[in-house]
Amino acid sequence: MSSSVKVCVPPSRGLKINNSLLKGLLATAITLAILFAMEAILHFFPNPIGPNSKELAAAVWVTVKLTVMAGFFGVAIGTIIALGKASTLPPLRWVCSFYVWVARGTPLLLQILFVFFALPVLLPSLEFNDFTSAAVALAFNIGAYNAEAIRSGLQSVPKGQIEAAHALGLSSLTIFINVVMPQALRICLPPLVNNGVSLLKDSSLAYAIGVVELSNAASRIQSATFEPVPVLVTSALIYLTLTTGLTQVTNALERYLSVERR
Amino acid sequence: MESPEVSTLINIAGVKKSYGATCVLKRVSVQIKAGEVIAILGASGSGKSTFLRLLNRLEKHEEGSIVIDGVEVSDKPSNLALLRREVGMVFQSFNLFPHLSVLDNLCLAPMKVRGLSRAEAVSLANDLLQKVGMGDHSHKYPHALSGGQQQRVAIARALAMEPRILLFDEPTSALDPEMVNEVLDVMKRLAATGITMLIVTHEMGFASQVADRVIFFDQGEIAEDLPPSQFFGDNKTPRVKAFLGRVLQTGI
Repeated sequence: MSSSVKVCVPPSRGLKINNSLLKGLLATAITLAILFAMEAILHFFPNPIGPNSKELAAAVWVTVKLTVMAGFFGVAIGTIIALGKASTLPPLRWVCSFYVWVARGTPLLLQILFVFFALPVLLPSLEFNDFTSAAVALAFNIGAYNAEAIRSGLQSVPKGQIEAAHALGLSSLTIFINVVMPQALRICLPPLVNNGVSLLKDSSLAYAIGVVELSNAASRIQSATFEPVPVLVTSALIYLTLTTGLTQVTNALERYLSVERR
Repeated sequence: MESPEVSTLINIAGVKKSYGATCVLKRVSVQIKAGEVIAILGASGSGKSTFLRLLNRLEKHEEGSIVIDGVEVSDKPSNLALLRREVGMVFQSFNLFPHLSVLDNLCLAPMKVRGLSRAEAVSLANDLLQKVGMGDHSHKYPHALSGGQQQRVAIARALAMEPRILLFDEPTSALDPEMVNEVLDVMKRLAATGITMLIVTHEMGFASQVADRVIFFDQGEIAEDLPPSQFFGDNKTPRVKAFLGRVLQTGI
């Protein structure tokens, strides 16, 4: 029974600028700035970090690229597998369940070694360099965990939402994109972020096939300088910076997607 | 309303529906004319909600036929699209889209299905929100509204597709008592506009005031199909008497 006269301004269709979005953009900007300035920052560190700042900074970029590539394809694989597991065709469900079973039931290190050494023996056309092999194995692994996260998000959307959308005459594709996905994303974002943080750290296993990512570079520098403490502590700090940046960005995204806290 | 010139809008002939071994609807046949307001009554489990959900294909019938405005209700995509365009539905649990504002809840289907521009959809939505008394709330999200307000928005959302037929599946059953009337008032005004309405309800007073016909379901069959004056009148059949006795006793 409000008697106030309000002018109804239709909200724009695009992004709604608010606190969460600004925080997210700020966190992204700070993380990127640290990444780009990594070599310059490390340069001011005392021996043995300063003289090796170039190698370390290059290795950080390898870690980031590995994480971003495997993360991107991991989400794509996860979405396809989650939809496959919800399919009405039994063979499709079996294939997807089999994949999740294998990817989650075997060690990631073994998967990386398999893609690099065994895959070319079985299928010569699938011979990749060390970086690509690591990215493929990481995406394969994280995809299975993402599939479970995305599946739980899709299942959390109440049946009534889909019925209401059908009753309005919306097509199945529109229902998926405009009704199911936005609601599922809010539920599956936290576990996906967890998986992303794990991925960032697990990318260090690429060390085993000779990829010079952050952990490998740190190990090389400490064995050359015989100063394990500063080198390993510095690389730990870099990992912490990256994981903190990642969680800050996604926390802001999570708040942005949450209607109740807008 | 019983004038013979008005053509049959919905023709239901020999419709059967079962879930596994349980038969929920046994050969239901009924005709509904354009503009009629039908109250569908019956005990829970009598098949009345299933009957309603067959009309827009949220449930599938196994036997018999349902023809709405010349369109056979089936899985044929072209039929289904026409059907969903003609038949709107209001649910017991509102089912507004929680991630969209009230305005966007109303605009989604007209833009995606009817191909309206954003501006056209917004102006249509604002008109409808005014009509259901929610004009001041278009920018809010569903979680910020009371149940009665959400249901009024849900009615406006269904109307935005400009359907000829509106189905109501217990629209006031999930509401706190003090919010029931605001929704019933909107429905009363709607009934006066000439739109065809089928309402599954437990609101006996509303049914007797607003409906042209009362269809009473009992054990998967239409047990009575009468004008409300007769249904609620003195010469009740024993089944209706027993049902009304139960309903009035429990005060639903």
